[in-house]
Amino acid sequence: MVDHVNVGTTVLIVDDHPTFRATARMLLEAEGYDVVGEAPDGETGITAAGRLEPDLVLLDVNLPDLDGFSVAERITSRAGAPAVVLVSSRDSSDFGPLVLGSGARGFIPKGELSGAALAELI
Amino acid sequence: MAALRRALIALFAVGVVFAALDVVFTVSSRHEADKAVAASLGAIIGLSFIGVGVFAWFRRPLSRFGLLMTGVGFAWFLAGLSESNSSAIYTIGSFLSPLYVVVAVHMVLAFPSGRLETTAERAIVVAGYMAVLVVRLPYFLLGANTTDQLRGTLPRDALALAQRPDLADVFGYSGAFVAGVGLIATGVLLLGKRRRASAAQRRQEAPMLWNGLFLAAVLIGAAVADFAGAPEGTVTAAGVVALVAFAVMPYAFLAGLVRSRYSRAGAVGELIERLNDPDRRKGLREALADALGDRGLQLVYWRPKTGRFVTYEGQPVDLPEPGSGRAVTEVERDGMRIGAFIHDSQVLDEPELVRAVAGSAALALENERLEAELRARVEELESSRARLLEVSMFERRRLERDLHDGAQQRLVALSLQIAMALGKLDSDPAAARALLDAARDELRKALEELRELARGIHPAILTDRGLEPALEALAERAPLRVELEAIPGERMPAPVEAAAYFVVAESLTNTVKYAGARQASVRIGRDDGYAVVEVRDDGVGGADPTGGTGLRGLADRVAALDGRLEVHSPPGEGTLVRANIPCVSS
Repeated sequence: MVDHVNVGTTVLIVDDHPTFRATARMLLEAEGYDVVGEAPDGETGITAAGRLEPDLVLLDVNLPDLDGFSVAERITSRAGAPAVVLVSSRDSSDFGPLVLGSGARGFIPKGELSGAALAELI
Repeated sequence: MAALRRALIALFAVGVVFAALDVVFTVSSRHEADKAVAASLGAIIGLSFIGVGVFAWFRRPLSRFGLLMTGVGFAWFLAGLSESNSSAIYTIGSFLSPLYVVVAVHMVLAFPSGRLETTAERAIVVAGYMAVLVVRLPYFLLGANTTDQLRGTLPRDALALAQRPDLADVFGYSGAFVAGVGLIATGVLLLGKRRRASAAQRRQEAPMLWNGLFLAAVLIGAAVADFAGAPEGTVTAAGVVALVAFAVMPYAFLAGLVRSRYSRAGAVGELIERLNDPDRRKGLREALADALGDRGLQLVYWRPKTGRFVTYEGQPVDLPEPGSGRAVTEVERDGMRIGAFIHDSQVLDEPELVRAVAGSAALALENERLEAELRARVEELESSRARLLEVSMFERRRLERDLHDGAQQRLVALSLQIAMALGKLDSDPAAARALLDAARDELRKALEELRELARGIHPAILTDRGLEPALEALAERAPLRVELEAIPGERMPAPVEAAAYFVVAESLTNTVKYAGARQASVRIGRDDGYAVVEVRDDGVGGADPTGGTGLRGLADRVAALDGRLEVHSPPGEGTLVRANIPCVSS
């Protein structure tokens, strides 16, 4: 069920859990996305976003160094910045208005991640 | 004490022999004008100093004051040798005749401890001895008093190498000048000493000090008069007055002693009165400081539980080192140590006073000790409560992180894998099956992690089956050999069982993490209302019970049950963790 809107959309996954990065890559690639990189923490994620210039950054809220909201702010403050979608194993109600204040397009709980959910936000 | 008494009696006997010799020399002297006065006064003055000195020495063996006063008496008798008609004995006596003045200055400056305290005091005394024993030597080598000797009134100067009375006089006057300066300096130092003394000390020192000051003034006056060429009668009169003042000195000391005994009895009486007056009881430290005449006195209280002295506020105290100038007098009540005073070590010169004060203060000190004990306990409880709270916060954060990083991530992955499998169910059943296999694996791991986490919070087997099966399971899971040596089969109160379990669990965790041990052993016994938990390993030792949250948290957990955790971990000799937890019911 490859959605043609997604085909070729380049993605960077920023998350400190290797299990999630692997599963998300598998899921997104199965749905036609092109996962161009992975990063285990905020600083690496910001650098990788600048270098790889992906269309989309899938960004975990809880990172070991910076929190996802400030990483989102820094990525989206640049010109021609990629779309950022925040993910977390927590619920969006845990974060209140922080998500939209960060410049991110939206939030998806990790368990509900899918190509369709992403496509809706970007 | 008996040996000291015998030695001092013998010393006094020697003094009597010296006195007799002096009397013999004086009576038979060919150059003493007033034999009766010189013989009787000489013997009385010398024996007064020796007698009172020996008495003071016996009463306060720790003080060197008695020794110095006895020394003045003997030096006085040495001066008496100048009455001899023998040229050699006359010369020795004559040469050493001013020595008693220097020893007397030494004694007065060192009053009451017998020790010189300031550099100025030491400098004056050393200069005095040097002036007498060294500076005056050329005076004799150059033929002192040659003119008198030529007239035949005095024996020959046995030390004379030359007959140069003019040169000898230069040294004679220099000696007199040094003596004058030394006496003025002594007077200044005595006034300073009086200013620094406490009220109690002043009472005791006054007669001696005034006597010393008067003597110094008369001697200075006589020296100045002599220098200015005053008529001989004036100088002689000043000399007689000085002699009388000097003769009075030992009795001035005795008078001070009597005054201080009265004032000491007064001080102890006043102390008892103050201690019994409910309105004034608060200032125990001040009352004791006044009674002992030491304003810097510090009171500390014994805490049997920790085996340390603590302040009134309950803070542990380090006692002063020997030789630091401060000393410790312990106070006991019914044979039990209850506290101590930390005071100036000079206070020990009056052991009876210290004993009397310690005895009168024991009851009040015991009351304050109980208060200090209570405060120390409250402080411990407060800080242990704060630490327990901190530990529990820390535990909650760790739990949240463990859940988030562990089981929650696995469940997220599981959810995504199932979603993907659903998507492929029709198009690619083989891929869907592989995804579901992976999902089941993930689920198994998530369950295992949750089980481990739940056990860390509180193992169900402990609640259901008790300590023995819980510890057996713990030992089985441990990655090293754990020998369960003695575990009571019967149940104990749940909080005690839980504390014992976590002492073992945390100790074993530490052993695995840090000790590099081959094996560990666990023993739990019952002893006099306590559950005694011991975990021993054969690892590298050197564990620090104050570092890290693990052992500290355990100690607080045990302290919350009024128990005590000890860690013995000498480097290279393994670690023993022992917890004593009160356990009344069985």
